[in-house]
Amino acid sequence: MKPDINSKYCKGCNICLFICPKGCYSKGTDFSELGYYVPRVSSPEKCFNHGRTGKMLCELCVLSCPDLAITWIEEG
Amino acid sequence: MAVQFEEFFRVDRFPHVFCPGCGIGVVMNCFYRAFNDSGLNLKDTVFTGGIGCSSRVPMYINGDMLHTTHGRAIPFATGLKLANPKLKVVIFAGDGDIGAIGGNHLINGCRRNVDLTVICINNNTYGMTGGQMSTTTPHGYLSTTSPDGNPEYPFDLSKLAAAAGANYVARWTVRHVHELVKSMGKALQKRGFAFVEVASTCPTGFGRRNNMGDPVQQLEWLKSMSVRKEKMDEEEIDQMDLNLQGLISVGEFVDRDRPSLQDILSSKKSKVKP
Amino acid sequence: MPDPKPGIEFMQGNDACTEGALAAGLKFFAGYPITPSTEITERLAYRLPEKGGVFMQMEDELACISAIVGASWAGVKAMTATSGPGFSLMQEGIGYAAMTETPVVIVHVMRGGPSTGQPTMASQADIMQAKWGSHGDYQVIALAPFSVQESYDLTVEAFNLSEKYRVPTILLSDAEIAHMRGRIDIPARIDLVDRKELCSEKRGEAYKVPDKLVPPFATFGHGHRSFVTGMTHNAEGDIAPEDEKVQEELVRRINDKILKSQKDISRFEIVNPDAKKFIISYGSSALAAKDIAIEDEKVGLLRLKTIWPLPEEQILSVAHRARSILVVEMNKGQMVREVQRLAYSVGCKAVRFVSKLGGEAPRKKDILPVLKKMEG
Repeated sequence: MKPDINSKYCKGCNICLFICPKGCYSKGTDFSELGYYVPRVSSPEKCFNHGRTGKMLCELCVLSCPDLAITWIEEG
Repeated sequence: MAVQFEEFFRVDRFPHVFCPGCGIGVVMNCFYRAFNDSGLNLKDTVFTGGIGCSSRVPMYINGDMLHTTHGRAIPFATGLKLANPKLKVVIFAGDGDIGAIGGNHLINGCRRNVDLTVICINNNTYGMTGGQMSTTTPHGYLSTTSPDGNPEYPFDLSKLAAAAGANYVARWTVRHVHELVKSMGKALQKRGFAFVEVASTCPTGFGRRNNMGDPVQQLEWLKSMSVRKEKMDEEEIDQMDLNLQGLISVGEFVDRDRPSLQDILSSKKSKVKP
Repeated sequence: MPDPKPGIEFMQGNDACTEGALAAGLKFFAGYPITPSTEITERLAYRLPEKGGVFMQMEDELACISAIVGASWAGVKAMTATSGPGFSLMQEGIGYAAMTETPVVIVHVMRGGPSTGQPTMASQADIMQAKWGSHGDYQVIALAPFSVQESYDLTVEAFNLSEKYRVPTILLSDAEIAHMRGRIDIPARIDLVDRKELCSEKRGEAYKVPDKLVPPFATFGHGHRSFVTGMTHNAEGDIAPEDEKVQEELVRRINDKILKSQKDISRFEIVNPDAKKFIISYGSSALAAKDIAIEDEKVGLLRLKTIWPLPEEQILSVAHRARSILVVEMNKGQMVREVQRLAYSVGCKAVRFVSKLGGEAPRKKDILPVLKKMEG
């Protein structure tokens, strides 16, 4: 599974960038429809949960997101 | 059965009103996880809050919701719970709401030990009204009503709750998301008054005035200022010293099983002749 | 202690109020000791659990009003009892109950004020506070008993009206009525009114008002996902603090639901309706006034049992017929201002006033000399 950011909720605080121990995120470059720079999931292959399903090994970004914007989606 | 995100939250009211980087969102996130882990029924749960940013959390949950007056969520919840003991009552309130105007209700609520779960989101400020100092603003920190630095010292709300008799007291920061989920889960299942304090970020009201306007800066501050309870015990650190230096002790402080008030009242009832 | 049997009993005003509340279906009480209402709290401490209800002594009056509003949302009839200093503390909660349309009963046993004043003596100086004490435009219902019997009957009425109109209802007793002991006829049967419950489980339905006035009650724990808040709220179950239209509609409705129902809510007593000299009074001020009216058919009495919403129709009707009006009350002039306003509007300018301060109810000797000098 890989993380996915819901740009309708994200307010661009960049906590996910900071909290991810593997550096999966990078700074956003485009305005979302809310007017924030939504981070990009630039390296999903570095994520602990890459290639996994079921119970996730690390959920720091999902739980630390103040906007509840991050969910797990299927890769590919 | 786990409640789906769209079923649990009032997604028609999302994105929520909280600022970018606000710790309240993290608490909502962790609470949702803890609620699902606890197996509680949304239909039998009532969410209440006082006034303030933290107290707005119940407005985003798709259940019965009582948004009360400032500081009084605990007595409202007491009335609710004792009138219908089948209801599970959860309170979301901030440090100003619970620790200042609601202080008397907090200590009496703990003393009475009614079955309530209180999530106190402590961001060291009155956020909704623009960042005034609160009863938990650390000594020397700036706010709109302490432009020269807070002359007063803060409460340690968890220790207050513990001394007043709560059955479960824990404190974590929004950096300790996994521990927070576990503690909230325990609090939800606990019989009696359960108090979970969350040291949280407020970039707009508090952080910005104290050189941590970026939420990431305040998260780093929280991590650097927290001391695990186990470490305190090992190194024999006085809780009071810790508090006066502005450090935050985290961990589970109390986990006991004093009888809850509704248990005592219902055991009395069974003695009354019809 | 068994329920009082139907028939004649001899009891104290406060005890009558307590028994009336229990007969009306009281199931949750939160109180704080304050003279002269403490007897209600103490009696309910053992009577209410006997009847399967919950009694709580809270840490202060703010907690009391909060707890009873919470209990009401759990679906039970709830009450508190207090006096002046406590009533002042409860104002925020009363405004909250009015805004959220929560049925609760508040017994306010008036005593000498301001501030700590005379804990054991009567006054009627809080009648305006009962209506205007909290901030904002709202209505309450307030009833004023003048005997032990009415302490029972009007308490039952207070619950019924509170449930029917989903509004905080205040029983304006005073230290004299509360502590007097007298004859009471316990009724064999009383008619009770319960709040209209919401049946649907869709949010938004809770705020659809069928008769444009009183919405059905969405009790917690029934899957209604009720959205209850003191903030300005709309019919879809959301806050709308910056919506002018929503605020106007909401404020108008919570006021209209009471003001437009005055006929149903106004309770009063008239003695000698054709008299030309009329006394208007209420509560323990009306005790001596009633004696006078009974003894002298030339003196009429309009005794108000409902203080709020003000029985304007009845007062205007007296002002039309009588040549002079005398208002007797135990304050520096509260009801008299309303009577003057109404009487002047129909050309009756002869409104006199007996202002009894000090803590004792007006006696005949306080009223008769003033009556003598009046036209009629």
